Amino acid sequence: MRFTIYQDSLKGGRENNEDRTTYCYSRDALMMVIADGMGGHHHGEIAAQIAVQSFANAFQGEAKPRLGDPFLFLQNGMKNAHRAILDYALSHRMGDSPRTTCVACVIQDNVAYWAHAGDSRLFLMRNGRVFAQTKDHSRIRLLVEEGLVSEAQAAHHPDRNKIYSCLGGPATPEIDFSRKTPLEHGDVLLLCTDGLWGVTSGEMMAVTLKEANLLQAMPMLMAQTEIKAGPHGDNLSAVAVRWEDNYVEALSSVISTQTMAMDEVTTRLDEFGRNPSYKSELSDEEIEAAIEEIRTAIDKYNPKK
Amino acid sequence: MAQQANHPLPGGHKLEEYTIDRQLSLGGFSIVYLAKNTEGMQVAIKEYLPNSLALRGKGDIKPVISEDHLGAFRYGMKCFFEEGRALAKLSHPNVIRVLNFFRANETVYMVMEYERGQTLQEFIHRHHGHVSERFIRGVFTRMLNGLREVHSHKLLHLDLKPSNVYLRADNSPVLIDFGAARQTLASDQPVLKPMYTPGFASPEHYGSRKDLGPWSDIYSVGASMYACLAGVPPLAADERLKRDTLTPAMVRWEGQFSDRLLEIIDWCLNLNHLYRPQSVFALQKALVADIHPPKNTPKDGWIGRFVNKFRSPSR
Repeated sequence: MRFTIYQDSLKGGRENNEDRTTYCYSRDALMMVIADGMGGHHHGEIAAQIAVQSFANAFQGEAKPRLGDPFLFLQNGMKNAHRAILDYALSHRMGDSPRTTCVACVIQDNVAYWAHAGDSRLFLMRNGRVFAQTKDHSRIRLLVEEGLVSEAQAAHHPDRNKIYSCLGGPATPEIDFSRKTPLEHGDVLLLCTDGLWGVTSGEMMAVTLKEANLLQAMPMLMAQTEIKAGPHGDNLSAVAVRWEDNYVEALSSVISTQTMAMDEVTTRLDEFGRNPSYKSELSDEEIEAAIEEIRTAIDKYNPKK
Repeated sequence: MAQQANHPLPGGHKLEEYTIDRQLSLGGFSIVYLAKNTEGMQVAIKEYLPNSLALRGKGDIKPVISEDHLGAFRYGMKCFFEEGRALAKLSHPNVIRVLNFFRANETVYMVMEYERGQTLQEFIHRHHGHVSERFIRGVFTRMLNGLREVHSHKLLHLDLKPSNVYLRADNSPVLIDFGAARQTLASDQPVLKPMYTPGFASPEHYGSRKDLGPWSDIYSVGASMYACLAGVPPLAADERLKRDTLTPAMVRWEGQFSDRLLEIIDWCLNLNHLYRPQSVFALQKALVADIHPPKNTPKDGWIGRFVNKFRSPSR
């Protein structure tokens, strides 16, 4: 597996961040999860944290190095996260259980599988266009599907934040599953919360991320969205992966899992999603490039007498 | 493992178009050679060769870099490139000039102008306690011209000290060794290993380094001037932060140098970076403005000195 991955979470205009993100990978499988704790209920961030934590734990236990059945894994992951939130609410005597949306995605053998509950989304972007995306479990989405409201009206509809499926609620969550989706080289999978897609449309993001370096483009996209959302903007979070095929020239940011041990799992789980500092190795090409740059500067600024 | 010194390249060794003459200096991260190019011009060549990561045995040309150290070796190379990048963009009589940069023997080399002379450090040692005010003003004003050029390229030197100021035969100073120089704008890069010299490094060097700015180099300028008078570096900034026992220049050398110069030194050595001159220009302006040579006050008792101070205010 070779891919470039990026995750971050910004507070936006809110006082605290109720979004949580994680990704884990083993030699043969990659999992990404994003959860948006619901603000209307208390302790949304706890529900979100439990959801990503429970997914991460499950992946660490099961991906050795492959997941048996990715769909089953996603289904169990969602159900277990839902129950874990309810258990937590019960053991802490919370009157109203905390709730969260959740999107989880697994990639194994160049095939993507995903599942979601609520209005956090997954976009599959190919050649600068949205190739596939999840359908929000929101009232507004139903109205749009029935043709009662247009997409443009939906963006400002008063009911746009009302969702009918989530983890941690009293009702059993409604979970939608994707189809098995084979990935092509250069495909981008973006998991994000409504703080991001509500301000910058999926189409817009697909154009921005086309052939861009995720590690550069994503921070920019998120920062711009945060500014655009204004002083009262929602939390915004994203996990984005660019899938690279095996024949691409080695880039410093590409992850190769071929050398990992069979039972090894690498996890990145940010407590309060802060700046990742990527270590990069200096390749021979980069050394040559640096020398060339310096020589050009010498010629430019200190021409030989 | 005991630290072994690296063996320098032998005299007469050909390196691209240069012929090595002899080793000029040996540091923890590099070796500097005196060499000649094909036209017979003398140059200084700095070889990136960190002691702890690469080892060159006697008579060898290529250093041995173990597999485990390759990552760190390459990482350190980034710092070396940073120095090259910083210097290549500068063209100023008071800043060392880079002439060439190349890769050989598994490592990288930077060719610089060779300046005949001595470092300010050597000068201080030689004239222990007898450095004149005129000399200090002359050297530092011109050295600050170079530093201004550095800052105007959005670079910080970050390792200013007397041993990094080279004096030509006519006492005109040249800033050398930009090994710690960093592009101030590139703050998103992983922080490279901090490099500084106790006594000359500013308090910001020790903390989170987010407050580093022109004022940090200015602290080092003040410390260098202090060292010119004292003959030894002032107390390290981290020690001063714990307990400031540094005698202000104003108190220590009152009457021997102009009040203005001593004031400037104390101004630069403020622990709070906001209280220092905020730009080299501000410092330069102060340094060239109204020079009042010290009056030859007759040495009378402490009461006389005390009264005198009130009778003739220095400004």
